[in-house]
Amino acid sequence: MSINKSLLTGSTTMLILKLLEETDMYGYEMIEELSKKSQNIFKLKAGTLYPLLHGLEHKDMLTSYEKSTGNQRIRKYYSITKTGRKYLNEKTKEWKVYTVAINNVLGGVDFAPVQ
Amino acid sequence: MPQSNRFADYLEIIRQQIRWKRVQPYVLQEIENHLTDQKDAFERNGIDEETAIIKAKAEMGDPVVVGEQLDRTHRPKPDWPLLAMTAILIFLGLSIQFIIGTDIYNGMEMFYKQVIWAGLAAIVFLVAYFLDFTILGKYSLIIYLLLVAITLSDYWFSDVRTTGYNTAIYPLLLFPTIFAGLVYRMRNKEYGGLVLCGAAVIVPALLGLLIHNSTVLFLIGTSCLIILTVAIAKGWFNVRKLYALIILYLSSAVTFSIMLFMMNDYAWNRLHVVLNPSLDPTGAGYITTLIQRLLLHSRLFGEGLPVSDYGQYPISKILPEANTDFLLTYLTYKFGWILFIGIILIFLAFIVRSVIISKRQKSVLGQLVSLAIILTLVLQFLTFVTSNLGFMLFGPVSLPLISYGGRGLLINMCLIGFLLSIFRTGSLVSDDTEVAGIKSSRLIQYENGKIIIKLKATQ
Repeated sequence: MSINKSLLTGSTTMLILKLLEETDMYGYEMIEELSKKSQNIFKLKAGTLYPLLHGLEHKDMLTSYEKSTGNQRIRKYYSITKTGRKYLNEKTKEWKVYTVAINNVLGGVDFAPVQ
Repeated sequence: MPQSNRFADYLEIIRQQIRWKRVQPYVLQEIENHLTDQKDAFERNGIDEETAIIKAKAEMGDPVVVGEQLDRTHRPKPDWPLLAMTAILIFLGLSIQFIIGTDIYNGMEMFYKQVIWAGLAAIVFLVAYFLDFTILGKYSLIIYLLLVAITLSDYWFSDVRTTGYNTAIYPLLLFPTIFAGLVYRMRNKEYGGLVLCGAAVIVPALLGLLIHNSTVLFLIGTSCLIILTVAIAKGWFNVRKLYALIILYLSSAVTFSIMLFMMNDYAWNRLHVVLNPSLDPTGAGYITTLIQRLLLHSRLFGEGLPVSDYGQYPISKILPEANTDFLLTYLTYKFGWILFIGIILIFLAFIVRSVIISKRQKSVLGQLVSLAIILTLVLQFLTFVTSNLGFMLFGPVSLPLISYGGRGLLINMCLIGFLLSIFRTGSLVSDDTEVAGIKSSRLIQYENGKIIIKLKATQ
């Protein structure tokens, strides 16, 4: 299986799609969730997040809708599409192959995961 | 919002980086919400407001970089294939007008006129293309009334003796598109909205009846019916779908039956001849019989075989309206079925691509208006093709962008301009958030761990 070169830069996309696979979220929520789930390892800058979200929306991987909240603020929620789910699936598979390969090289036989 | 001033300088820098002006408010609103959320979170952690604002901006990152990235993501997306096809159809139309022009009486004069109309149509196209199509939703009622006024005056002042038909048919072709704007305005208005939409069809339908043009009547009726069906099926009226569809189709069937009932003997007679032209081959069935004979003698390539019953005259002498109403019949007999097939294929490509992009539209307005425009083009195309094949139930109005006639060209280029404008900018249009507003007016709400009970209804 060939590994996409943009794997590392594309990993943020994968993480965002993963978050949205469970529930619809707005931008701020995603950053919070990502930081919580990765135990503060992934601190995504909002300045990176929004261009990425808008780009994914153009590519039909996400759709968005507006919803007003109690304090009269209108929030833009993002929701994953079928195309997005398919893409996430592919990327997750690629990622697994990639990490297994890295582990194999780094740790030799001992590090290889039990299949 | 008081916060907006605190972030104004930061947001302004982002705004300056985004070249596409119409996208700015949509994007900045979201960024500002984020900054406010972030600031509130810092304040909850015990940081004072001033510091929270500074920290929120720092979390977002350099505004120039953020703005530049957003600028790269948000560029208008012209659909080049459809633009190219529009240009091809216009040039194909002019070339055909030139070729037929050399063959028929007064043909070159009409060709030069058509060139001038094409220039005007190009200007109209560009205006529609760069205009913000959301005005069709925002000002739909005003535009509707304006269009009624224009059509009525056109009907009144149309000189039927020189043109041979009432020119009001052309402004009438704009009704389905404006109707889509009205449906958009009436969405979420439940049965009342549905009834108002139905009422909006009455005026153009009556006008279609007045000018005795069954094609226009059919075009308006069918388009509006399909638009309403889609709107109901997608739940945009907020009503029980099945009930609403039954009401819609029952009332359409009743209207249709009344119209059939009111048809006079002349119309019945015509209908009989349409279905069986041999009943009256020299009178009402003349054109149909002629077309069928010409097509039977047409070949795949090159000019058709001589048609004996009409003397040894060339086709330009026996087929009337060769550059307008029966352009396809003329071309098929003169140059072969291959040209007929070629023209059909270009139109099909245009329509299929438009439908695909229309389905991708996110906003209700974009979907409705593009559907209406596609329907207007498709029904003109279908009625033209069938009548040129000798089935004259609905006579030809125009073959969009190709058949002779300035008004038709102008109207169709205006419609295509709007269609491609939707496809270019539709990605950033979002509908007003009325549904969300209704939700927040619930008496009991649950939010952030709090139950809010409103003792007084706010709406």
